Amino acid sequence: MQTGRIFSIEEFSTYDGPGIRMTVFLKGCPLRCSWCHNPEGQRGQIEIVRSPNDCLACGACLREGAKKTGAPCLVPESVAVCPRSLVRLCGEDVSVEQLVRIIEKNTAILNASGGGVTFSGGEPLLWADFLVDCFAALDGKTHRALQTCGYADADTFLRVLAHCDLVLFDLKQMDDEMHRRYTGVSNAPILENYRALAASDKPFLTRIPLIPTVNDTRENIEATARFMKECGADYVELLPYNTMAGGKYRMLGREYEPRFDGSILPDPHKEIWKNYGIEVTIL
Amino acid sequence: MTEHVKQFLALMKSRAYRDRRVDNVGYDVTELVNQTHCMLREATILEDTLTKETTNLPEGDIFGFNRTLIHLPYYTKENGKTACLLGQNVTPNYARVIGMGFDALLCEIDGYAEVCDDEEKRLFYEGMRRQVLATLRIADRYREAAEAEGNTRLAAALSRVPRLPAESFYEACVFFKFLIYTLRLARHGQMTLGRFDQYMYPYYERDLALGVSREELFETLELLFISLNLDADIYTGLQTGDNGQSMVLGGFDKNGKDQFNDLSRLCIDASLELTLIDPKINLRVSKKTPDWIYELGTKLTKQGLGFPQYCNDDVIVPYMISLGYDEEDACNYTVAACWEVISPNNGADVPNATTFSFPMAVHLALHSCLLSAKSFEELMAAVKEEIRKECERIRATVVHRPFPKASYLSLFVDGCLEKGRDCFCGGAKYHNLGSHGAGISTAADSLAAVKRMVFEEKRVSAEELLRALEANFEGYEALRGSLAACPKMGNNDDFVDTIAHELMTAFEDHLHGKPTLTDDGIWRAGTGSALEYIRTARKCPATPDGRYAYAPFACSFSPVIGARLNGPLSVLQSFTKHDLGRISNGGPLTMELHDTVFRNEEGEKKVAQLVKTFIHMGGHQLQLNAINRDRLLDAKAHPEEYPNLIVRVWGWSGYFSELDPVYQDHIISRTAYTV
Repeated sequence: MQTGRIFSIEEFSTYDGPGIRMTVFLKGCPLRCSWCHNPEGQRGQIEIVRSPNDCLACGACLREGAKKTGAPCLVPESVAVCPRSLVRLCGEDVSVEQLVRIIEKNTAILNASGGGVTFSGGEPLLWADFLVDCFAALDGKTHRALQTCGYADADTFLRVLAHCDLVLFDLKQMDDEMHRRYTGVSNAPILENYRALAASDKPFLTRIPLIPTVNDTRENIEATARFMKECGADYVELLPYNTMAGGKYRMLGREYEPRFDGSILPDPHKEIWKNYGIEVTIL
Repeated sequence: MTEHVKQFLALMKSRAYRDRRVDNVGYDVTELVNQTHCMLREATILEDTLTKETTNLPEGDIFGFNRTLIHLPYYTKENGKTACLLGQNVTPNYARVIGMGFDALLCEIDGYAEVCDDEEKRLFYEGMRRQVLATLRIADRYREAAEAEGNTRLAAALSRVPRLPAESFYEACVFFKFLIYTLRLARHGQMTLGRFDQYMYPYYERDLALGVSREELFETLELLFISLNLDADIYTGLQTGDNGQSMVLGGFDKNGKDQFNDLSRLCIDASLELTLIDPKINLRVSKKTPDWIYELGTKLTKQGLGFPQYCNDDVIVPYMISLGYDEEDACNYTVAACWEVISPNNGADVPNATTFSFPMAVHLALHSCLLSAKSFEELMAAVKEEIRKECERIRATVVHRPFPKASYLSLFVDGCLEKGRDCFCGGAKYHNLGSHGAGISTAADSLAAVKRMVFEEKRVSAEELLRALEANFEGYEALRGSLAACPKMGNNDDFVDTIAHELMTAFEDHLHGKPTLTDDGIWRAGTGSALEYIRTARKCPATPDGRYAYAPFACSFSPVIGARLNGPLSVLQSFTKHDLGRISNGGPLTMELHDTVFRNEEGEKKVAQLVKTFIHMGGHQLQLNAINRDRLLDAKAHPEEYPNLIVRVWGWSGYFSELDPVYQDHIISRTAYTV
């Protein structure tokens, strides 16, 4: 039986597809987007995280590390000793069967509102075999969506695509060099998969995290709209950059250092979308 | 919002109208009381109070009746105790008196007085008569003030009401404000507003038929809502904001017809536009409620006022009928100051007579039986025995309240005049008592942890657990962590939800419908906590769910603060597993949703679906808060920058900056686990 590594399950996610949705977040991502608001989803391995809110700074968690390794640090044993339960393991391996059981507890509610389950991440396509098995096991039970950055080899993408009901596909940046600079990878496989998705009969939503000065430029919006139009897409959802994005880095003991000025309000360029006949929703 | 409404709102916020208030601290009427027959005490005090009141009619106010005495009178009783506030949590019969007028009320009093041959009843009627006359005198003074200030609209209304029946929506609103004002001056705290959309609807409908525009009526309604806030700061209960001005909208009649009408809609629209603390909106819903009403309610939740609170007719109406309320009264239910369900017009229940603490029962059972218990079932039996004993104790309590012999309130409670008795002394139709059941999640989680750690996995001995609790987990940090990781109520986990079900069943078995000792009433069991989630918790030592000694319980019927939760869907399922049909005295499931969820219309619709789901699953009461933790932290640090930040506390909303820090902290800690 396949297993997948999950870092969170949200029971009431309001922006991951139609209706009330459960969103399953799979751990690990090939991209390192400068604006990432789910940094705990980036690394594939299980991590120990500590929420800074309400921390008493009692040191109990670090002492556990000192006992084990000789130096103060977080270790799995730290989880149990935090008096405020602020330390936890991020990442848990679950089997398809376990996950489906968790989802099935909520399908009645999800289905009543026209909702379902969305697999997100990290990048869920890193767990393609697991995903295919989950989707197959949920067939006929609830609506199944895949939220992806699109970075995967074409075979993998098409294989997973065949098993879900809806794809939420991110288009972050049309210029390949800019894409490499801000996400760490080329956009070539992404654009190729997007073309394949648009050519298929699978329902999909195009989404753009709108990052000030990075991809909200007139050139990039123009290029994105043109590309979408060529592929036959006529609807886009824009997610304006939120300054809360840095909120979780401290929990991982990391600093949030975006390489752009997050205080600028991103420009959705509504007029460009209109020129291309693409309907826009700003989330 | 019209110019008039804008200006009146600005005046209310400027607080300039408060200049006319008199700081009458130390308003002691003991001497007056000592010289008066107890049946005439309330009349004498009210006459004295109203003589001391002055009129306060700020610019743009078309209702008047704003209090100028900051402090209400009090007196020292023979036993040395001080008496001030009288019976509360009643919904008076506004409709009846607004529809008949005080002149007719006087005739009615005189009629009963003439045929009565009992000296005490004769004094009762004399007291009633004197109270009516005293309040008519202040109404006259307001009429004169309105004339003098050229407030012709109010002067014209006051030339009819409150003596004569109201003939228009506006007159009915003036009458209504007069009643609220005089009831408060008569020391009745937390008089609730009831089903305003129902009893005011005939006036609204008549005005529309006569050609008054909907816009004009909406303006009147908005001005009334603003006017209800003018004195809110001196109408305090236990904290500022806890003043009982709750309004119940919608609901289903006994034929299952939805009574949500155009006036209900306007009330929500007014609240949306004004974003004021009063009136607090409660929405009655059921399986038949259409989606758009939930969506409208969600827009109100989004404002961050902490209301509406939802009440499920499908659960509450049968609950009340099962307790002996007539079907018509049950279908007409309202909520008391917070969420306790009551029968308006004819009831004088005391729904918050006492508080039962589930965690205390667990604490006592652990100490009496854990060391000797051979199985978890044996421990459970001991807990149930503690519940039984505590319920017996509750049932044996005489509820001492400063119940007056002939209160002003009794004029507006059906049956009191006929019987010549005060509403709290046999005059009303219902005299039931309610007990909150606080801390169910703490108790269930505690027992679940003991079951798993001591009995099933044997990871800790009974002795060690008791030592850890005794030490308040000092030196037992790892054990506390393991206990905190055990199953929690709110995660749709039968392991713990079954325990909660058993505890609630025991509580109901020993209290629900049992006769009260002193009244001709019965006991009602509930899931509320009011302020007891902090007060009772302060008496409760550390519990095996990992809760530290004296730390708060969750507010009302909610998961433990700090429990790691799967999310709202699991919470809803956990809290609707137990059939709530015998435990609906009042006490909502409270959930915090981060305000980003409400970012757009789609998000709002999904929240509305969530509420609908809860109602369809058989939940009794639900209260959602839109919360932004950062904003609250900032508001605590810089209260001066957030004078208008409103939050839900327990059954009511208040200005965050005015709350006691312990409540501020509790609200902030709730947000750390926003689902």
